[in-house]
Amino acid sequence: MAKNGRNIVIDPVTRIEGHAKITLHLDEQGEVADARFHVTQFRGFEKLCEGRPFTEMPSLMARICGICPVSHLITSAKACDALLAVRIPPTADQLRRIFNMAQIVQSHALSVFHLSSPDLVLGMDADPAKTNLWGVFEHDPQLARDGIRLRQFGQQIIERLGGKRIHPAWVVPGGVSEPLSQQDRDAILATVPEALKIAERTLAWFKQIAERFREEIMTFGNFPSLFMGTVKPDGRITFYDGKIRIVDAAGDVLAGGLDGTRYFDYLGEKVEPWSYLKSAYYKPHGYPDGMYRVGPLARLNVADRCGTPRADQELAEFKELQRTAALSSFHYHQARLIEILYCVERLEQLLNDPEILSKHVRAEAKPNALEGVGAAEAPRGTLFHHYKIDEQGLVRWANLIIATGQNNLAMNRSVLQVAKHFVRGNELMPGMLNRVEAVIRAFDPCLSCSTHAVGQMALRIQLVSPQGEITAELARP
Amino acid sequence: MSGILVIAYGNPLRCDDGLAWHAAEKLSQLNLSNVEIITCHQLTPELAVPLSQAAAVFFIDAARVGVPGELACGPLKPQLLSGIFTHECSPASLLGLAQELYGRCAPAFTISVCGECFDHGETLSAKVEESLPRVVAIVSDFAND
Repeated sequence: MAKNGRNIVIDPVTRIEGHAKITLHLDEQGEVADARFHVTQFRGFEKLCEGRPFTEMPSLMARICGICPVSHLITSAKACDALLAVRIPPTADQLRRIFNMAQIVQSHALSVFHLSSPDLVLGMDADPAKTNLWGVFEHDPQLARDGIRLRQFGQQIIERLGGKRIHPAWVVPGGVSEPLSQQDRDAILATVPEALKIAERTLAWFKQIAERFREEIMTFGNFPSLFMGTVKPDGRITFYDGKIRIVDAAGDVLAGGLDGTRYFDYLGEKVEPWSYLKSAYYKPHGYPDGMYRVGPLARLNVADRCGTPRADQELAEFKELQRTAALSSFHYHQARLIEILYCVERLEQLLNDPEILSKHVRAEAKPNALEGVGAAEAPRGTLFHHYKIDEQGLVRWANLIIATGQNNLAMNRSVLQVAKHFVRGNELMPGMLNRVEAVIRAFDPCLSCSTHAVGQMALRIQLVSPQGEITAELARP
Repeated sequence: MSGILVIAYGNPLRCDDGLAWHAAEKLSQLNLSNVEIITCHQLTPELAVPLSQAAAVFFIDAARVGVPGELACGPLKPQLLSGIFTHECSPASLLGLAQELYGRCAPAFTISVCGECFDHGETLSAKVEESLPRVVAIVSDFAND
């Protein structure tokens, strides 16, 4: 921290899920010396679930977030499957995969179309009063319609399977609570062609406009790091099960075949006093050298292929972006769009399997183990739920490792890189600070349930002198 | 769809804020063939699609300011696009969005009842509960007209 310098505070960071601020520490020359991404909200879910029956955990954990409740529901249910020590019916397994992919589609669509597209469509230096969703609606209505439709596609699948769009309780320990009806299966399949078309059209649009962001590609979290994700034994991408693979910045496999339920053997967490968000790291490299990234960019970096024709074609192109692993966090956007394409293709394949309509979707059992871990891929990266229960089935201890925490070190480093490149403390311009926020948006951090936002999320940036005086201030409406 | 759309929104876990969900439940029990009901915690841009297709739309919500139990009903006009965040969608801006993106928005009405208690809970306060039949009657009378 530059104790003799000045600070710039961006509080709150806008167009992300949850509440955070960014502090830029300037030296005497007004250049950025250090940067911090602070998560300013505290949820405490690991503590408040203590004493609850483990059967409540999936529904309770889904309340963590209004955007990715399905991820928590599924990962929690997987931890509970381990407590029951059951193998869930194959159809339940496939239905959970479809459910998870529907959520990935809607969550990624939210990130690309609603949160980041204002920067991509209107430009990083556009008038802050216009760089919002409504600005996109005015400037590119087709893109706006596509975003709405794609989100709707994912949400409607979630609603058809889970009964409601937000916080469904359909995934339960041992499987799912209800089978899929033929009527719902056919209704979902009927919407697939349009979703595929939108996914492909958006990818084509993105690859075209990416040319305009060469400087951002070079500076948005573009540095060597490790990448972690889940793959099938044959190296295909997967969001539900498989083995954890870690690759280095060159794209070479550093560790493969890791068991997600043994995450504690190779992942550590560190608490910093300036943020409620813990920072995860790869244990063998220590803290903070064990910095790694998760989520769409990481998943595409660790996977050999997707396993569906159109997504594989896009993945091959994506892997040509850099000779090494794709290092720039700006590429998260493209990776997100490729994952949308893959999910639509893959869920169509699963829905066309006649066994998907099987009525046998739940294994019943009482607890057979006192400790269980669930691991799955959430939209933003690998998610772990780890529970310990007592003989009565009450939760005595819980640990959740959430994707955003695993990206915390990389997000901080990215903010610093962008700030050093673009921000001049003596001449503050909104576009400079928007880029600092935009690099955070590239990671699509999910800091809490979005439904907790109240009122207007104004952006305020202050320059504070060493004496604590505000010497300059920028505010957004 | 070309029928009547009811968008009932609020938080069903915050007592009177869940008024619309209670109204939606009662409306669904009437089995009105020309009425589609959507319940949600908050308004989101995706609702612009059904808004552009409906013959008429009712937004049902709880209000915070006023006399508890007081019911207000009135027509709503589309608003020019504004606001900076998806959390801020208002009924009027959603109508504006439907008009802008899909070239049409349904004639719309708001029905609101002023709440008294917004604490954690799934029950309505007595005054809000009393107003519930009138909320349902407005929509059902319109649908049966």
